[in-house]
Amino acid sequence: MAWERRGGNLYYYRCEREGGRVRKRYVGTGELAERIAHADATIRKTRTERRKRAQAEIEEAEGLASMADELNDATEVLARAEMLAAGYHRRKGEWRRRRDA
Amino acid sequence: MLELGLTDEARERVAELRALSEKVQDGEKGARTELRRALRESAPGVLARCSNTGRVYRGMLAEKMAVGDPLVKEATVQQAERMALELAGENPTPLEVLLSERVASLWILTELQEALMAAWYYKGGGTPMSVVLQMARLQESAHRRYLAAIKTLAQVQKLQGPSRVQVNISGNQINVSR
Repeated sequence: MAWERRGGNLYYYRCEREGGRVRKRYVGTGELAERIAHADATIRKTRTERRKRAQAEIEEAEGLASMADELNDATEVLARAEMLAAGYHRRKGEWRRRRDA
Repeated sequence: MLELGLTDEARERVAELRALSEKVQDGEKGARTELRRALRESAPGVLARCSNTGRVYRGMLAEKMAVGDPLVKEATVQQAERMALELAGENPTPLEVLLSERVASLWILTELQEALMAAWYYKGGGTPMSVVLQMARLQESAHRRYLAAIKTLAQVQKLQGPSRVQVNISGNQINVSR
């Protein structure tokens, strides 16, 4: 969204996406255009804040999910070692008992 | 974000167990005996460390779930501990206890992510679609890990003997052969 100066006057335009292309659309001039521009700026600011808040929440959720990765990994290693020590072996993702174990 | 890591010693022992497990899997002679020795020596310490870390992790998840309400936090922790006890069955080995606790931790994680997802849907059109998709992927990943943890527990429990344990996870009856 932008103001454009022509012949000493300011004209307010909006940029809109239509079918993958960005088009500039004339909105107006004077006090009414100023009010519309102000409303547009508020909407943009609110959207940016909402996106930032959502991103922060996502990062927190990702952090919570991954912070115990090492613990999960260690637990898997222990379980696998226990299975192998008990005479099993893994074949095509399935645990099978060895005949010679 | 805080990392819930292991001590350097536990990390080394896990690395040793991993390396020995790979040797056994590759069929290296004498590796299984060596793995059994390493398990006898290392497992108690590593299990204890993992168990402590898991307890801290469950507390953190429950706190996030409770949104500042200490009663909800305590109830969530208690429910997870009850679930872990039930899953571990009678006379569980320390590894079975740890695996059951992991299932309980991942249960809280999946519940938490479902709650977050529900909250975002409730907000309506306010949440960007990219964020909803990211959250859905996270939720799916947590759910996959939760099911994998149940499977690992069942496999280890199967080693212990032929009794049968019935457990109830979030209303679903699951039979675990022992």
